[in-house]
Amino acid sequence: MEALLRAADHDVQPALSPEQFARFCDFFYHHTGILFGESKRYFVERRVLDRIRASGSEDFRDYFALIRFDASGRELQSLVNAMTVNETYFFREDYQFAALTSDVLPYLAGLRQRPIRIWSLPCSTGEEPYSIAIAILENWNDADEHAIEIHASDIDSEVLAQARAGIYGQRSLQRLSAQLRARYFTALPGERFRLHEAIRSSIDFGPVNVVDPRSMARYRDMDVVFCRNLLIYFDDLSRRQAVEAIYESLAPGGFVFLGHSESMSRMSSLFQPRKVSDSIVYQKPLDGE
Amino acid sequence: MPLVRADRAADPSAEGHGDSGDPHALLEELYAAEASRRRAAARNLAMYPHAAPALCARLVVEPAASVRSVIFTALIGLRSDAAVQGLLPCLRSEDVALRNAAIEALGHMPDVLEPYIRSLLEDDDSDVRIFAVNVLGALAHAQAPRWLEAVLRCDPHVNVCAAAVEGLAELGDQESRSALVDLPGRFPDEPFIAFATKAALARIGTV
Repeated sequence: MEALLRAADHDVQPALSPEQFARFCDFFYHHTGILFGESKRYFVERRVLDRIRASGSEDFRDYFALIRFDASGRELQSLVNAMTVNETYFFREDYQFAALTSDVLPYLAGLRQRPIRIWSLPCSTGEEPYSIAIAILENWNDADEHAIEIHASDIDSEVLAQARAGIYGQRSLQRLSAQLRARYFTALPGERFRLHEAIRSSIDFGPVNVVDPRSMARYRDMDVVFCRNLLIYFDDLSRRQAVEAIYESLAPGGFVFLGHSESMSRMSSLFQPRKVSDSIVYQKPLDGE
Repeated sequence: MPLVRADRAADPSAEGHGDSGDPHALLEELYAAEASRRRAAARNLAMYPHAAPALCARLVVEPAASVRSVIFTALIGLRSDAAVQGLLPCLRSEDVALRNAAIEALGHMPDVLEPYIRSLLEDDDSDVRIFAVNVLGALAHAQAPRWLEAVLRCDPHVNVCAAAVEGLAELGDQESRSALVDLPGRFPDEPFIAFATKAALARIGTV
């Protein structure tokens, strides 16, 4: 019984003081660009307390010193992973696809005399590259006048296999209208849906490690790179390498779309920020070699 | 349909990243005419610790921002004494972009930088001391708050101390309080110092 009581006591963790919470949020924002407000206090506290326990720290003060001064950055990485939600579905942050079809593709069509190349990195289980394909077919009136390549890459071979299979459940399709479901999917037993072969076969899926120059070298002269919610998982050095690798993969004048909580300006000055429709995109200079 | 498939992933001929495997050839490539070749050389030289002096020498004459960025990333990856020695002169550069990038890069090398911190903080040039304090403000080193407190106690220049206050607002802890509390007494004619220390103390709070 005494052991049970001790275990119960251990589970009752004190909440962070207002100063600790504010300081933690400042620190986390400084390192990731992700800003948590008071409305996210419960979410933040739960994960911080979990990490305090998992790292063997005595208390918040001990843990805060660990994440600030640990040069390896391992615990900071674990914290970032715990604080971010790795979720994907069709037409996530769809205002970026609207910016793609309303402004970016027409601009690139006037600039290029060759196929326009779009790269989804990382593509996870395929929802993003397929959303790009559907958005182009549905919303870019001049699409039939141009050739468009869509490439999609991930470091995880299992998610690539799922992406190629193109079978999704209700949760992935939650933001898709009934009309789009009917137009692009075939219903399968068990409330699952398979994307039509014509779309699946149009996309080049393949493995890539963003911080490995050898695998990144396959991808050159890209015009648009969707790299959303990936860089926040990297430490500083890997993030620099990844951004420089993306710069290398783009043709001059090409664009990068990042996740809504990410900012290229905090990572690199190689790109020029552009306001396009409701999105901020980052452009490789037209005279960028 | 406008969507056309082009298999990059299955195209082995597309692979290649400019690594000749010969570090001497890579050092020559650092001076190639095309920026893309210079970037590839810098990226590949990151595997060779002895390349740090050559990377630093290229850095100060390199005109392309994209190449500079890759050189800095290579030096951060090398994280060596030679890299620090090559970067420290950049703190005296009139080129703001180069200087700021050097400050950021040095901030990634806490252990290697440690032996140089005392001499940086005792430099005759107050601007260099400010940049050194800027490095400390972003340094993942347990002694960083202590070094900044020493600046508050000893440095004669108000702007150096102001930069240290800013750093302590980020990194400071309870041990930093007395140095911050005492600082306005050293500069009684500088109301900004009183304001900045008060803000830093509030920021440190009781954490």
